Amino acid sequence: MIEKGKISGLQMAILLYPTIVATAELVLPAITGEVAKQDMWLSPIWASFFGYLSVLIAYRLHSYYPKETLLQYSETIAGKIPGKLIGCGILFFLLHTNGMNLRDFGEFVNGNFLEQTPLTVTIASMAFVCALAVRGGLEVMARSSQIFVPVFILLFMFIVVLLIPALNPGNIAPVLGEGLTPSIKGALVPTQWFNELFLISFLLPYLGENENGLKWGMITTTLIMITLVITNLLALLLFGDITSSFTYPIMDAARYISVADFLQHVEAVEMAIWVTGMFIKISVFYYAAVIGLAQLLNLSDYRPIVFPIGLLLISISMWAAPNLQKLTHFSSTTWPFYALLFQMIIPILLLLAVITRKKFSKTQLS
Amino acid sequence: MKLLQNKGKQLLTITLCVIPIFLSGCWDRSEVNDLALIVGMGLDRTDEGDIELSAQIVNPKAMGGQGSSENSQSGGQPVTVKTGTGKTIFDARSKLQEKVSRRLFEGHNRIVVIGKALAERGIRQHIDFFARFPNPRLRANVFFADGKASEILKIMPNFEQDSAEVARELAELRIGMKVTTKDLLQQLASESGATALPRILVDKSDSGEELRVNGTAVFKHNQLIGQIDDALTRGLLWVTDEIETASVTLQPKDAKDYISFKLLRSSTELIPTIKNGKWKMTITITSEDDVVENETKLDMMDPKIIDKLQKQLNKRIRKRIKMVLDDVQEGMEADVFGFADAFHRKYPKQWKKAEDKWDETFPEIEVAIKSDVKIRRPGRSGGPQGVPQDKEATE
Amino acid sequence: MIWRNRRKKGKTGKQKALKPSKQEQDTLFKHITENEDQLRMIYQDCSDVIFHAFTIGGNHQALLLYIDGLSNTEEIDDSVLSPLMTATESDQEQQVDTLIKNKVAVTDTKEVHTFSDCVQAISAGKPVILADKSSTGLSLGLSKWEKRAVESPEAEKVVRGPREGFVETLSVNTSMLRRRIRSPKLKIQSIEVGRYTKTSVMITYVEGLADNTLIEEVTTRLNRIDIDGVLESGVIEEFIEDDPYSPFPQVLATERPDIVTSSLLEGRVTILVDGTPFSLVVPITLYSLLQSNEDYYRRFLMSTATRWLRYLFLVIALLLPSLYVALLTYHQEMIPTSLLISMAASREQVPFPALVEVLLMEVTFEALREAGVRLPKQVGSAVSIVGALVIGEAAVSAGIVSAPMVIVVAITGIASFTIPRYSTAFAIRMLRFPMILLAATLGLLGIMLGVITIIVHLATLRSFGVPYLSPMAPMHFYEMKDTMIRAPWWKLNKRPRLTGKYNKYRQSSGQKPDPIRGEE
Repeated sequence: MIEKGKISGLQMAILLYPTIVATAELVLPAITGEVAKQDMWLSPIWASFFGYLSVLIAYRLHSYYPKETLLQYSETIAGKIPGKLIGCGILFFLLHTNGMNLRDFGEFVNGNFLEQTPLTVTIASMAFVCALAVRGGLEVMARSSQIFVPVFILLFMFIVVLLIPALNPGNIAPVLGEGLTPSIKGALVPTQWFNELFLISFLLPYLGENENGLKWGMITTTLIMITLVITNLLALLLFGDITSSFTYPIMDAARYISVADFLQHVEAVEMAIWVTGMFIKISVFYYAAVIGLAQLLNLSDYRPIVFPIGLLLISISMWAAPNLQKLTHFSSTTWPFYALLFQMIIPILLLLAVITRKKFSKTQLS
Repeated sequence: MKLLQNKGKQLLTITLCVIPIFLSGCWDRSEVNDLALIVGMGLDRTDEGDIELSAQIVNPKAMGGQGSSENSQSGGQPVTVKTGTGKTIFDARSKLQEKVSRRLFEGHNRIVVIGKALAERGIRQHIDFFARFPNPRLRANVFFADGKASEILKIMPNFEQDSAEVARELAELRIGMKVTTKDLLQQLASESGATALPRILVDKSDSGEELRVNGTAVFKHNQLIGQIDDALTRGLLWVTDEIETASVTLQPKDAKDYISFKLLRSSTELIPTIKNGKWKMTITITSEDDVVENETKLDMMDPKIIDKLQKQLNKRIRKRIKMVLDDVQEGMEADVFGFADAFHRKYPKQWKKAEDKWDETFPEIEVAIKSDVKIRRPGRSGGPQGVPQDKEATE
Repeated sequence: MIWRNRRKKGKTGKQKALKPSKQEQDTLFKHITENEDQLRMIYQDCSDVIFHAFTIGGNHQALLLYIDGLSNTEEIDDSVLSPLMTATESDQEQQVDTLIKNKVAVTDTKEVHTFSDCVQAISAGKPVILADKSSTGLSLGLSKWEKRAVESPEAEKVVRGPREGFVETLSVNTSMLRRRIRSPKLKIQSIEVGRYTKTSVMITYVEGLADNTLIEEVTTRLNRIDIDGVLESGVIEEFIEDDPYSPFPQVLATERPDIVTSSLLEGRVTILVDGTPFSLVVPITLYSLLQSNEDYYRRFLMSTATRWLRYLFLVIALLLPSLYVALLTYHQEMIPTSLLISMAASREQVPFPALVEVLLMEVTFEALREAGVRLPKQVGSAVSIVGALVIGEAAVSAGIVSAPMVIVVAITGIASFTIPRYSTAFAIRMLRFPMILLAATLGLLGIMLGVITIIVHLATLRSFGVPYLSPMAPMHFYEMKDTMIRAPWWKLNKRPRLTGKYNKYRQSSGQKPDPIRGEE
C-alpha cells in the first residue's frame, strides 16, 4: 500500500467533521434560508439522511474490499478500462470540487479581509500549506486536525455563547408554517455536502485494526448534523428573515457581537474557524485526489505528485468561476446534481454490481 | 522519484517560493496613522437632490494617549466633521475623501444619523451601503434628525469626546428606541412595512448645546409619515418590550404630592387572536417597580395603600399605551409595534391570505391592554420621612 | 533529478578510519624494555605522562605509568609502590603477575594485554603496572582528578525540589541516579564516542519499564556517531535527532537528577555524557518540554493553573508581536474603538511603519538577552538597566517607538521566559520573526497559515518514534490527566504510554487520602 500510516476511528471522525462543516457553517444559512425561511434549521436534519446513506454505502463496499480505496475497487468491480474511466471521473470531480473549495476560501478572505490582495496569493498560500500536510501523509493530517478541531469547536461555541443575548427566539415561529416542503427544498444543496462523506472510502482502508469505521462514520454524520442545526438556528434567531440576504450570515453574526463594549468585532474568531476548517477540508480532498491519482497510475509513492497537483488545484480554482456570483450560482444549482453522480450514484452502482455478482456466483456454486 | 527527498533542498525550495510573496507583498497594509477613523456618519439631502455625507473623524493628536503629553497642546478639537456630496453614499464618500489626507475608515463607525430631508424621500435605498461595503458595522445605531444630520455631528459634548459617543450611550440607556443597522434592515424587510427610528435633537441652552434623544420618527413603506414625542415613545417602548429604565411619577388620589417609582423589570407579550374573522391583539405587560421617592404622608409599608397605588399605576400604563395606539395605529396607520409578525407567527395560514390587505386590516385591529404592575419594595424607608409617627396618613 | 545524488556521498564518507594507530603488533611484549620503548613512542612529546621504573622486591623490573593529575598519587605510593617494593624473599617464588595482584591493595584492578588497552586505561587516569617477563599488565582504578562540587543547577532553578545538579564527572552523576533508584533494574550501559576524545557515554534506563526497541534504537543511533570528539551532550543531540532541520528540540537536555529519575521511571532512556552536566532524555513530547519538575512537587491545583498559564504565554510569546502588526496594519476594525484611538495617538509621532517598529524592538530585545547571558555577572546587571532604559523610556520619549509597542515587546519577553525549557523557548522566540513577516504580508490570514504550518510540522515530528504532539494528537484521553491538567498523584496510576504498553500501572489505585482511612 502507498500509505503506510494508520489512523484511529476518532481521527477519521475528526478529519471528516470539518470537511463538511467548514464550508457549510459559513454559507449554509444563506442557501437554506433562501428557500426554507424560518424552517431552515430543519433542513440539515433532512439532508443528513444522505450523509448516513453515503457512509453506509462506503462501508458496505469497504467490507467487500477492506484494503482498497474507491478507485482501486472500482477497477476490480467494473473491470480494468471502465474502472479506470470511473477513476478518472472521480478524480476529476475531486480536483474540481477542491478547486472550488479553494476558490470559496479565497473569495471569503478577499471579500472580507484582504480586498486588495490578489486572489492568487491567498489561494496559493493556502494550497501550499495544505500541500505540506498532504505530503506529511494521513497520520500527519489526522494529528494536526486533532489539534485544530477542538480549537474549531471551542471557537464556534465561543461565538454561539456571545451571541445568545442578541438572539430573538420569536424568529423561529411559525414552525412548519407552510408544511414540510420548504425545509425539504432547503435541504437540496446540503444533501450534497453531506454526501461529501463518501470521502470516507478513501480513509476506511487505513483505519487501524479493531476500529469500528461504521460507528465512527455515523457519529461524525450526527455531529455534523447537530452543528449545522445550531448554525442555522443561530443565524435564524439573530437575523430572522434577512438571513438569506447576507453572503456569509455567520460572519456578519460574528461582527455583530459586542460584550461590554470591549469584546466586539470578533470576526477574527470567525476567520480562525474558517481557515482551520478549510485547511482540513481542502487537505482531505487534496489527499484523496493525490492518493487516487497515485493508485490510478500505479505509482509506488504519492509524495512526488503532491506539489504538481497543488499547482493544478490553484489553476482549477482560478478557472472554476469568473466571480463569486457565478461560483455561488454553480454550487447551488449545477453542482448538487453533478456531485450526486459521483458521490452517490457511482458508489451505489458499484455496490449493486458487487452484490449481484456475489449472489450470482453463490447460486452458481450451489 | 527522489525529487525533493532531501530536506535541505526542500527547505531551500520552500524559502525560494515564499520570498517572492514578501517581495511583492503588503497589498492591504495601511498604518493607523494613515487612516481617518470615522466614528459617526450623517446623511442629508441637498436641494439638488444629491446626498450629502458628513463624517465625524477622530483627530488622534487631540484625543491623546499618555505618551503624547507634550504634543497634546497642538491638538485642537478631538473630532472634525467633513462633508461631501454625491449621487450615492459612496460617491459622496469619494468626494469627501478628496478633502481628507488620510484614508477614510468606517470600521469604527458607531452612529448613522439620517436627516429629515433625506428621510422624507425614503431610507431603504441608502441603508444598503451599510450592509454591503466591507467596513461599516451592523451594530451602528441609526438615528433620525429633525433637521440636518450634519448639525448633530458638529455638536461638541461635555462628557464624551464626540457626539457620536453621546448618541450611542443615550441609545444604550434606552431613553428612546434603540435601532441598530441590523434592526433597521430587519424592520425594512418585515411584513409590517413600518419602521421607527429614534429622533435625536440639539438642545440649545445657556450652558451650550447638548444632544438629546427625544421622540421617534415613524416611517411607513419607506416614507416618513410622522413623529411622536417623548411621552408617546415611552408608550411605544412598553409595547415593543424595549423599556428598560423608566420612572413613573403619579399623584395618589386625595393627595397633593407625588410618589415616584423606578421600573425594575418589565416584559410585554403580544397575543394575537383571530375569532370569526375578527383580528384582535392583547398586550400583556407585567412589570415590577420600587418606590424611590415619596413626597406624600402615605405609609409605603401599608399593603392596602400599595394595592391602590398598583391599580393607579396600571391605569397609567394603559393610558400611555392607549395614547400611542391612538396616534400611531389609528392616526398614522403604521405598524411599528410588530403586530404583523405576531399574527404571522401564530396564524401563518390566515396571514398568507390577509397579507396584502394588512394596511387596511391594521388600523381596524381591536387592541386590549392588560397591565400587571407589582410594587416590590418601599425603598430604604418605610413610612414617610420627616413625619411624626402619629401623623402618618392611613386609609 | 539533479538533487538526488548528494546523499550517497555522505554515506561513503562514513568509514571507520582512524582506529588506534595499528602498529605491527598490538599485544604487549615479554620484555619490559620493549614495552617501554613502544609506550614511549606512543606517548612521544606527552610530558604529563609519568614513566616510573622500579623493582619489585628488588628483583623484578617493573614500570608504572600514569598521567599526572589524573591519578591519585598518594594512593599509588601507599597501596601500590610501597607493598611491591618491600616484597619479601618468600614472595619471590610466585609468578610476577600473581605477586603483583596479591600485593597491590587496590579494589578495582584489571588485566591489560594490548597496547591499546594500556593507552585507554592510562587516558582514563588508571595507572598501569607492567612487569618484566610478563606480557600482561595491570590497570589500577586509582583515577582521581579535580572536579566541581555538586551545586544547585543554574539553568533550572526551583522553589521547591532537590537542589543538587549534575556535574561534569560521569561517575558522580551515575552515583546520583543510583542513590535515587536503588533497584538493580536500573541499568547503565557504557559506550565510547569520539575518535580522539573517547568520551564515555552512558545509556541509562530501568529494565522492564523502557521498551527494548527503544533501548536498541538509542544504542544504534549512538553507535552510528563517528566524530573527532564530543564536546558536550549538544553534539550528541544533533546526531541522534529524528528531524535535524526542525527548530524544535526532540531531546530533553537537563542537569537535574530528579527530572532524569522521573523520566527513567516513566520508561524513558537517559544518555549521560562525560564532561558535561547536561544529560539527554528520550523520547520526549512537546508537552513534556512545557512541564517543569516543580509541577509535581506543588499542590496539583496550583500546578494545573500554572500549566495553563504557561500554555497561554507560549501562545503569547509566539504570536503577540505578529498580532500587533496584523491588527494595527490590516484589521483596525477589530481593536476596540477607544483603544485604537489611544494607540493611534501614541503612534502619531513614530516615523516607522508598525512592522519596522516591531522588528527593531524585537531584535534589540534578542540582542539584549544574548548580551545578558554572555556578560560577566557584574556587568550584566548594568547592561540590563541600560537596556531597559534605552528600550523603554528613551525610545518612547524620543518618539522612535510607541508606548504600546514597548509593552508588547516586554510582555513577549516575559512570556518567553515562562517556558521552562530554554531550548523550547528559543525555538518559539525564533519562530516569532517569520510570524511577524507573515502578519505583515497577509494579516491575520498570514498568522493563521503560519500557525497551521507550525502545527503540521509538529505533527510530522517524532522523537524516537513517539509522536511529538501526543497525547493530544494522537489523542490518549487518559494521559491528558498529566498534560491538560496535573491530576493529583493518587490519580496518576498509569504510566504515560510511550513506546511499550506493558507494565502499565505505576502504583496501586484507590490511594486517595481521607480522614477515615487513618482510623483503620
